[in-house]
Amino acid sequence: MAPTAMDSDVDGDMGGDVPQRHRRPPIADYGLLGDTRTAALVAADGAIDWLCVPRFDGDPVFASLVGGPQAGTFRLGPAGRATLAGRRYRPSSTILETIWDTPTGRLVLTEGMVAEITGRLLPTTLLVRRLAAQGGPVRAIVDFDPRLGRQHRPPRVQHHGPTVVCQWGPLAIAAHAAPALPLEPGRPFRITVTPDQPLTVILAVADREPLVHLDPDTAWAVLLDDQRRWQAWCKSVDGDLPHRDAVVRSLLTLRLLTYAPSGAPVAAPTTSLPEQLGGVRNWDYRFAWPRDASIGIGAFLGVGKTDEARQFMAWLLHATRLDRPRLPVLLTLHGKHPPPEQALEGWPGYAASRPVRVGNDAADQHQLDGYGWVLDAGWLLTRAGQRLYPETWRTLRGFADRVAERWRAPDGGIWELRGDPAHHVHSKLMAWLALDRALRIAAQRGAPRPQRRHWKAQRDAIAAQVADRGFNPAKASYTRVYDSDDLDAAVLVLPLLGIEPLDSPRVRGTIDAISHQLSASWPLLYRYPPGHDGLPGIEGAFLPCAFWLVQALAKTGRYAEATERFTALLALASPLGLYAEEMDPTTFHHLGNYPQALTHATLVQAALALKDTRLAT
Amino acid sequence: MDWAGWALFGLVATAILTVVMTGAQLAGRTRLDLPLILGTLVTQDPDRARAAGFVIHLAVGQAFALGYAATFALLGTATWWLGALLGLLHVAVALTVLLPLLVGIHPRMASDRAGPGSTAGLEPPGLLGLNYGTQTPTVAIVAHLAYGAALGLLLRVR
Repeated sequence: MAPTAMDSDVDGDMGGDVPQRHRRPPIADYGLLGDTRTAALVAADGAIDWLCVPRFDGDPVFASLVGGPQAGTFRLGPAGRATLAGRRYRPSSTILETIWDTPTGRLVLTEGMVAEITGRLLPTTLLVRRLAAQGGPVRAIVDFDPRLGRQHRPPRVQHHGPTVVCQWGPLAIAAHAAPALPLEPGRPFRITVTPDQPLTVILAVADREPLVHLDPDTAWAVLLDDQRRWQAWCKSVDGDLPHRDAVVRSLLTLRLLTYAPSGAPVAAPTTSLPEQLGGVRNWDYRFAWPRDASIGIGAFLGVGKTDEARQFMAWLLHATRLDRPRLPVLLTLHGKHPPPEQALEGWPGYAASRPVRVGNDAADQHQLDGYGWVLDAGWLLTRAGQRLYPETWRTLRGFADRVAERWRAPDGGIWELRGDPAHHVHSKLMAWLALDRALRIAAQRGAPRPQRRHWKAQRDAIAAQVADRGFNPAKASYTRVYDSDDLDAAVLVLPLLGIEPLDSPRVRGTIDAISHQLSASWPLLYRYPPGHDGLPGIEGAFLPCAFWLVQALAKTGRYAEATERFTALLALASPLGLYAEEMDPTTFHHLGNYPQALTHATLVQAALALKDTRLAT
Repeated sequence: MDWAGWALFGLVATAILTVVMTGAQLAGRTRLDLPLILGTLVTQDPDRARAAGFVIHLAVGQAFALGYAATFALLGTATWWLGALLGLLHVAVALTVLLPLLVGIHPRMASDRAGPGSTAGLEPPGLLGLNYGTQTPTVAIVAHLAYGAALGLLLRVR
């Protein structure tokens, strides 16, 4: 590329002169960029502090989010004093805009990852970032510092014309800028961006395949094509949904967190963002939970996205094949058993929250509730007129048989606590749900009479036992475990099941008891009494439970309360409409892995419940 | 060449291969399901696909057996270990070339480059079929060794 006016403004190696980042960005400051194969988190100062390649669960190349400054970052942003003037996703798209005001003019960073590459010669991972100045020239900083994996390995660097290629064995990343820049990994520099000439920088990733080189302007056009596709996808989402924009943002987030090659729903793109700042509750969520897929089926079906719902069911069937009739708690993106949990030596963690973990040991737990979610998803598809293939129904019947056989045993429970198994009331309720939904599907699809009789007998036995030992009359509520005083916000799914009439005093009592006694600070809820989990410290309020409460209130006809809570929860979203798993009830800072698919799925479910209740009244 | 032997024992060897693969699948060793993968070339219903895929699989197995028979005729000898050696070559090609290439032509198989518009139901097999379970290469090798050994044992050189 010929030298440009901008080239003459490059300051060269300014490593010592470049302002350092003194502030740790709050979790909610991060925006999500994604392509349905992997995802990046970008802070409000323009720094990409998290990106794993080539997949969500691959090694990170930018990991300063939890690995400290030596773990790599990729920053494009204002070089000097600047004020954040605005940040938003372009409507109904995954393209992110960040706007800063500086003394000399306005700087706009527009960026995204290209999701749809099928049938075209494009890199599997393509990140496109464009800096544009408005009102005058603006000094900007470019800090491209990729480091791979646990050891933060610097790359072997080669320059091919305007492209810098970073290699680590079979993995390569090519960075290319227009106008051309002297990109050198680990050596930040300043440039001047002028209003007449935006700066476009692209990153192409190749793993065990040749790099595909692309002109930055072509990449920009491809990104805009992608934007049009996302906008078309969003157009068909029901216009009558309450707070449709928030629901659409959640649906887009769920789509970005679905690993397209296998259809696996990734719980979150990050590992070890802490549930308590400085604490030990740091887990790797770059795996797929069958429970999340099942909840996602309900969410996508509810907004008319049948293909997405069916894809989740297809993934469930395929991924669980090696374990049937046992339903694994979580799986890798390709349906394997997750690697054992390990702490990363020397990683400082987000806000000194150590250890930083990879792998997840919850995979070996027995959790009864997962079967309920999956059978319920099967029923939702059936009720929606979607034909279950014979193989699908055989598999679901196998799961129902497993529940009928195992429900009397204690289990690990939905919250995956590392203590001894217990008789969790929520798990028993979900076991009831599994058998009830199996019976409902059987009424349409057919099943051997003895099998149905057995399911019905076991379902009724669960109902009797839960009513006897899972309900605490003194608390007027269902409890966390049998014969206990502790409450559990997971039990808020009670009105969705059908085990009790919606106007039952037990249902109302449970909703009221949980909303009062597990209240963190309005409208937030703890998932169980804080500190009752055997780990040091106290975690934040659990956001999906707050949305489950909205859903429970709406389902039981308490529309005004539900709407009030829902609106308040929407106000607690990150500036970009994203949610982590938890929230500090004092500071309202987001906590835990981010963004979290379960939180966004429950947001959609809550909106759907509000819509149903509004229509019914 | 042993044409009569090829006609009969090609089917026998393919049936043996299928039994090994299906047995491994039922034992939870692999999610590789060749009848399903081949059958979903023509239908998306898994049960119908398996039936269609089994027929396709028999035809493909028969075609490969022709190569084995021709090789035995060319070398002037047919033994179980020579057949097993050919089976090893066969599985190497299948895992490193045929299975990955399937992604490019299979209408219902996603690729590692699949995006949000993908409606493909089958996940890509990945390198050596490892996406279908870590023991997939081992299962495939054992099945093809059995296939080749059966042909080496049963075919004659005329």
